[in-house]
Amino acid sequence: MKAIVHILEQDFRNFFRYKWWLVGLISMNLADLFIMAIVYNKMLSTSVQAQITSYFNFFAPGLAVTGLFASAFMIGREINMERRREVHHYMLSLPMTRLELAIGRVLAGGLRGMLYMSPLLATCFIFLGLPSIWEFFLILAVLFLLAIGISGLSIAIAVSTSSLEKFITARGLVYYTLFFCSSVFYPLSLIQDLGKEGKFPAVLVTLAEINPLSTASDMIRNFLLGSPPFLFSSLLSVLAFSAIFTFGAAFAYMKIIERK
Amino acid sequence: MAVPDYFRYYVSGLSVMTLYSAAIFIGFDIYEEAEHGVFEYLLSLPVSRRQLVLGRSIGGGLRSFIYVGPLIAISLYVIGAINPLSFLVSLFALFLFSFGVSGMSITIAVMIKSSDRFDIFMGVLDALIVRLSTAMYPLATVQAANPVYGGIASFNPVTFAADLFRWGTGIEAITTLNNPLLPLLGIIAFFSFFTFVGVVIYDRRIEGGGWQ
Repeated sequence: MKAIVHILEQDFRNFFRYKWWLVGLISMNLADLFIMAIVYNKMLSTSVQAQITSYFNFFAPGLAVTGLFASAFMIGREINMERRREVHHYMLSLPMTRLELAIGRVLAGGLRGMLYMSPLLATCFIFLGLPSIWEFFLILAVLFLLAIGISGLSIAIAVSTSSLEKFITARGLVYYTLFFCSSVFYPLSLIQDLGKEGKFPAVLVTLAEINPLSTASDMIRNFLLGSPPFLFSSLLSVLAFSAIFTFGAAFAYMKIIERK
Repeated sequence: MAVPDYFRYYVSGLSVMTLYSAAIFIGFDIYEEAEHGVFEYLLSLPVSRRQLVLGRSIGGGLRSFIYVGPLIAISLYVIGAINPLSFLVSLFALFLFSFGVSGMSITIAVMIKSSDRFDIFMGVLDALIVRLSTAMYPLATVQAANPVYGGIASFNPVTFAADLFRWGTGIEAITTLNNPLLPLLGIIAFFSFFTFVGVVIYDRRIEGGGWQ
C-alpha cells in the first residue's frame, strides 16, 4: 500500500509540473461552456428546446465528463514517453511489486482526472444547482470509476503504441468514437430517433446507449435538472468499463513494459 | 434562430477549422528543428531570412491544404453545385488564410521559444478563435447570444475564411454575407501582417542561432 502511495505522489508531482498546460486545458473547456454552449442556446429547434430547455444547462454536466476524460487520459502520454525514453527500466527497478506499480499508475491517472474535473463539476453545481448529499456522493463514485477506467484505457494504449504519433492517433480515434457516440454533446433520444429513421447505424446507437460517458453525463443531468430519466441499472456499464480497463491495463502494463 | 440545413453549414465550417488546425502545426516543426539542431543548419543556408520565413509560411500553408484537401473535396460533394468563379475566389482566400495561419504560428513559435508554452497558448487561441467565429454558427446568432462575442467574431480571420468558403460554394444564403470583398480584404490583411511582421520578428529573435 505504501508503494502505491509513493507512485500516486510521484504522478501527482508530474501532474502539477504541467500546471500551465492544465490552465490552458481548463480555459478551453470553459470556452466551450461560456461561448459555444451560450451561442448554441440560440440555435435550438423548438422540439429540442422542449426536451432540454437550455443547451448551456444540458452541456455543463457533459463538459465535466469531457474534462475528466482529457485529464485522466494524460497519464497515458506520460507512460508512452517513459517507454520511449526507457524510464520504465528505472520504474521496474523500484522496490515494489509489478502489481503495485501498475495499480498505482492507474489510480494516479484516475485521481488526477478527478482533481482536474472538480472545478468543472463545481461550475456545474453553481449554475445548475446542488444535488442531495447522497446524489453528490454517487456522482463522485461514478466519476471516480469512470476516471480509473479512462486512465486504464489510456495506459493500455500507451504501452501498446511505440511512438507518440501512434498514441495521439489512437487517442483521437478513441476520443471521437466515445464522445460522438454518447449523450455528452446531444440528448440520447436524438441519437435514438436518428437510429429509428435509419440515419444513424444501429451499432452506433447501441454504443451510445451503453457508453459509460452517456451514463455519467445523464446521471448528473437527472440529479441536477430532473431529466433525462436515469436507471440505476445503467451504472453497470460504468462498472464494467472500469473493471475491464483497470485490470486489463494493469495486466498490459506489467507484461508489456517487462518485455521491452 | 435555427439554421436551415445546418449540416451543410457545419461541413463547410469544419473544412476551415481543420485547415486552421493543420496550418498551426508548422510551429511545432520549428521546435522540433530547434531541438535537433536543424535550426542552425537552416540559418546557414544561402537564403535571406525573408525568403526563409516566406518559404516556410507558404510551405506550411500548402502542406495543410494538401492535408485538408480530401475534406474540402467531401465538403464540396456534400454542399453540391457551385459557381466556379466564386469558388476560385474563395479557394484563393483559403490559400491566403492558410499561409497567414502558418505565418502566425511561426511568429508565435519564435517569440515564445518554449514548446510547452506554445502548446498551451495555441490551445487557448484555438479555443477562442474558432469558437468566436462563424465556423460553427452564423454571425447573427453569435451577436444575439452576446454582442461582445459578435463584435470579436466580426473581425476574426476564421470568420472571414468560413464566410468566403460558404459564399464561394454557393451557400451564402445561410451566412447572409452581403459583400464578399470585406472578408477578402480581412484575409489579405491577416496574411500580410503575419507574413511581413513574421519576417521582422523571426529576424530579431533567431539571429546568431540563439534559440535559448
